[in-house]
Amino acid sequence: MAATHSTPIAPSEGRWIPSTCGMCLHGCGIKVQVVDGVAVKIEGDATNPDNLGKLCPKGNAGLARLYDPTRVLYPMKRTNPEKGPGVDPGWERISWEEAYETVARELGRVRGEDARKLLCAIGDFQRILLWGWPAVFGSPNFFTSLGNYCGGSYHPVNGSLDGSFAAINDYEHCNYWIQIGSGDGFSSHLHLSGSSKRMADTRMRGMKVISLDPRCSIASAKADEWIPILPGTDRAFVLGMAHVLVHELRRYDRKFLREHTNAPYLVDEKGFQFRDEQGHALVWDLAVHEPRPWDKVASDSMALEGSYHYEGRELRTGFQVWMDLLESHSPEKMSEVTTVPAATIRRIAREFVDAAQIGATVEIGGKMYPYRPAALNYYRGSQSHANGLFDNLTYKLFNMLVGNIDVPGGHLGVPLDHRGFFVSPGEDGMLKPEPHQLHPAPPFKYPPDSTHLMEWFPIGFDAGQLNAETILNPQRFGLEYQPEAMMLYHSNPWWNMPETNKIEEIFRRMKFIVAIDIHLTESTQWADIFLPDRTFLESTLLNCLEPPVVTGHSLRQPVVKPLGDTRDAYEILTELAQRMGFLDNWNDLLNLVCGFTAKPKNMLDPEKRYSAEELFDRFARNIYGDDHDLEWFREHGHAVRHRTPEETYMPYGKLRIPFYFEFIKRTGEQLRGNLEAAGVTGWPYENYAPLPYWKNSPVIEDGRRGFDFYAITFKEPLHTFADTLVMPWLSEVSEKDPIHQGILLNTATGKGLGIASGDWVRLTSPAGSIEGMAQCVEGIHPQVVGVSNAITREFVTNSGVRAKGSHFNRLLKGSLDYTDGATGGLESSARVRVEKIAAAGWAH
Amino acid sequence: MARLGMVIDLKRCVGCNSCTLSCKQENGTPAGMHYARVVTREVGSYPQTRRTFLPLLCNHCEDAPCEKACPTGATYIREDGIVMVAKEKCIGCRACAVSCPYMNRHFIEKGFLEHGYAGGELSPFEAVKFGAFEEGTMSKCTLCAHRVDEGLEPACVTTCPTEARIFGDWDEPEGKLQKLVRERNSWTLLPECKTRPKVFYLDA
Repeated sequence: MAATHSTPIAPSEGRWIPSTCGMCLHGCGIKVQVVDGVAVKIEGDATNPDNLGKLCPKGNAGLARLYDPTRVLYPMKRTNPEKGPGVDPGWERISWEEAYETVARELGRVRGEDARKLLCAIGDFQRILLWGWPAVFGSPNFFTSLGNYCGGSYHPVNGSLDGSFAAINDYEHCNYWIQIGSGDGFSSHLHLSGSSKRMADTRMRGMKVISLDPRCSIASAKADEWIPILPGTDRAFVLGMAHVLVHELRRYDRKFLREHTNAPYLVDEKGFQFRDEQGHALVWDLAVHEPRPWDKVASDSMALEGSYHYEGRELRTGFQVWMDLLESHSPEKMSEVTTVPAATIRRIAREFVDAAQIGATVEIGGKMYPYRPAALNYYRGSQSHANGLFDNLTYKLFNMLVGNIDVPGGHLGVPLDHRGFFVSPGEDGMLKPEPHQLHPAPPFKYPPDSTHLMEWFPIGFDAGQLNAETILNPQRFGLEYQPEAMMLYHSNPWWNMPETNKIEEIFRRMKFIVAIDIHLTESTQWADIFLPDRTFLESTLLNCLEPPVVTGHSLRQPVVKPLGDTRDAYEILTELAQRMGFLDNWNDLLNLVCGFTAKPKNMLDPEKRYSAEELFDRFARNIYGDDHDLEWFREHGHAVRHRTPEETYMPYGKLRIPFYFEFIKRTGEQLRGNLEAAGVTGWPYENYAPLPYWKNSPVIEDGRRGFDFYAITFKEPLHTFADTLVMPWLSEVSEKDPIHQGILLNTATGKGLGIASGDWVRLTSPAGSIEGMAQCVEGIHPQVVGVSNAITREFVTNSGVRAKGSHFNRLLKGSLDYTDGATGGLESSARVRVEKIAAAGWAH
Repeated sequence: MARLGMVIDLKRCVGCNSCTLSCKQENGTPAGMHYARVVTREVGSYPQTRRTFLPLLCNHCEDAPCEKACPTGATYIREDGIVMVAKEKCIGCRACAVSCPYMNRHFIEKGFLEHGYAGGELSPFEAVKFGAFEEGTMSKCTLCAHRVDEGLEPACVTTCPTEARIFGDWDEPEGKLQKLVRERNSWTLLPECKTRPKVFYLDA
């Protein structure tokens, strides 16, 4: 314990240790001041070009996590066999030996019978190298909605477009930024601290920001213009703008579309690419008026538009197919869907294409690039919907109309990690689509092995929300077994999945649950054994995740002696693997995911156990060379540098990117063949389409059943989606902001319903209902109610934080009909009825 | 001599509260107490609605009413313009708190330092940081004098992701502060109180 200081601790006292923030997944560079063994201050690491010494409020609260008095610091076992919300588990401290012995015995028994009976919920993004543990155990199951809640459709489309994992507009060169359902640069998503700084600089130099959101978010509050829109209809707004560009203004980047995409490739009557007998994709050669292989025709001779009769065939270019689809998407029609006036759709489309400067070029680092300083950026709110694939494709195609993909000023891919874009040649001069970047694409299988049906989502993400559908209706999907054990590793599926009651039923069926975490949550309070992990300030790893403008790893290292008797999650999983007899397979997998197989001298001996320090020492040397070992990182903190223009702008060179996503259609046809042969009926194939269009979602249809309002959830920079909500440092601040005090309702709407701020209201959706205090505001669409994530937790151990209990996910459906059939993306908005149940003062 | 102060650029600020939390860990203030904070407000009516974010801290006034109100000389203004409280001289009369129109004085009540954020025992962090406070005395933002004395900026400035908080010396005619108020429209809080704040705001 440090000596008591009677004056504030000077920055020169003690020592500063470089490390990496772990308060969200992204990992900004930090330095931690330690005085007499106590961590007393965290600051951004100014030498790290990612966050430039800045830190968001969550990062600034890191010490409150380390020293959270409600952390679990010792292994525990449950003594009360009864389980459920509000039931005291009767925790009893046990030894690590007893804990390990129990877990290895219980999980070992499951593994001996049928390893698939284990449900795994892993949510520790920074330890992504460990995500394969369940697969080595023998279970394919992914029992959590985390990731899929936001990125279910987003990541597969980024990977399919240009081999990236995420995307962001070019802060450095963009002049006109349309932001749809996203907090990038203002409140959330990729590396918030550095992104906020870059966005502020960009706005100060005069960039215009247009923000579409049902709620006056921070981005909307700071934008030059906020356009309120109905949830889940953002795609219609953008399709309306695409209609304006293509059919009214006829302004789009023909050169880009011809030279860098497959938009000119011919498509046959059935929607497949028209090929010659050798299988080459054909284009219409304007010089000879006949189809010729794409690589035999100069790009300015390729027809970009048009329908062609050829030897009895009806052919169209891929571009023409979308033009034809867009014809019915006039601003007037899209206005009816979105509630945004048609004139606004037209005006924004025109401003966008004016700002894009089609045809302009710029020299960067001695090389000429197209210069397109207008781009549309988007994230969760605008595409985490039941037709999320169409949402994502629409936003990408709209950007492609002005030729701004991966060029200065435009819409840039963001790689998953230090490996950069996944670039390899595919068919017909195209970049190979990489929809799966977190694990290999799962081969089709019937009956399915996984409870989330990953084998039936060949281009999708892991649709965790489908667990309830399959486990509770096994016969419908041919699931041959019933899960009976669960591993929770830094994940809270009871809270993060839709239809809480169904998820709770699955929890009840479990014969054994083990939790690896740092604190008790709605989920981990169901555990039989609790194995306490170390916080980011007490453990070791190298981190590089979704950095928007930089690349390279940053080191997480212990800054203080670990509190209590905890173990690093990597070492827990390794110990369990050894006790259950699959250490060799575990090390083999680590060899693969760490990239050691490419440099055999760094490979782990399958029979040996390695500490986290040994693992990451090899990891560092494997990527950066033997002179950059763990010791080097301990001293320097990071190897983060700016990505070069070559790594940022069109890193795939002359390979074409898809405009017409034929491979999605083909994948759907293959899946249909497989599922029909297996006798599965009623599978949603419709979203396996090569081009997006407007169709009503199930949420919109629910409006016909008397659910007249839309409900959305949102977060702001004080919090991550769930994890920080139990931290008093942060919650005492968010509780002071009216938007985090209750269920948001437009003031005029409230008046109409006789509801004022402070009244108690109930929201009822087709899935369930929640209650909360009404908070009437101006900054929300009159047909929408908003539920801040800050009021959604139902169980909190920290006495400084109140569980507010307005748990939004209870309103969501997790079923197949509310899931994007192609990507597995879930529907994150709902239709609800709103009713007043008590006047202010009489609530609770 | 210097007149240290701050310009807060409301155009850059996104109301994230990094300043609030950075101050919290730098100064280790007890639960519920924030030297730095952000007031958010909704303005206009739908759909012409905006939210505004107003970061606050002690204005380190040149004509500081707290200094005048203090009967013991516990509140004093350093040569560099920072308004401080010498806790050993403070008798806890709270005249300063009443006089401050900005509510930037924070009284350490009896018992405040016995409980940490979780109610019970102090965390190791709190055990160290609470030493700088004394129950029954007034505390306030020191513009991070202990950092300034070592040539650093206040914690809220260092951490601010958008660089909305700009620290400097009003006595430097070509310094950052004077330049910004020359270039942009600027104002102070409650000018009618004639406190002459050294914290200025730039229009959003």
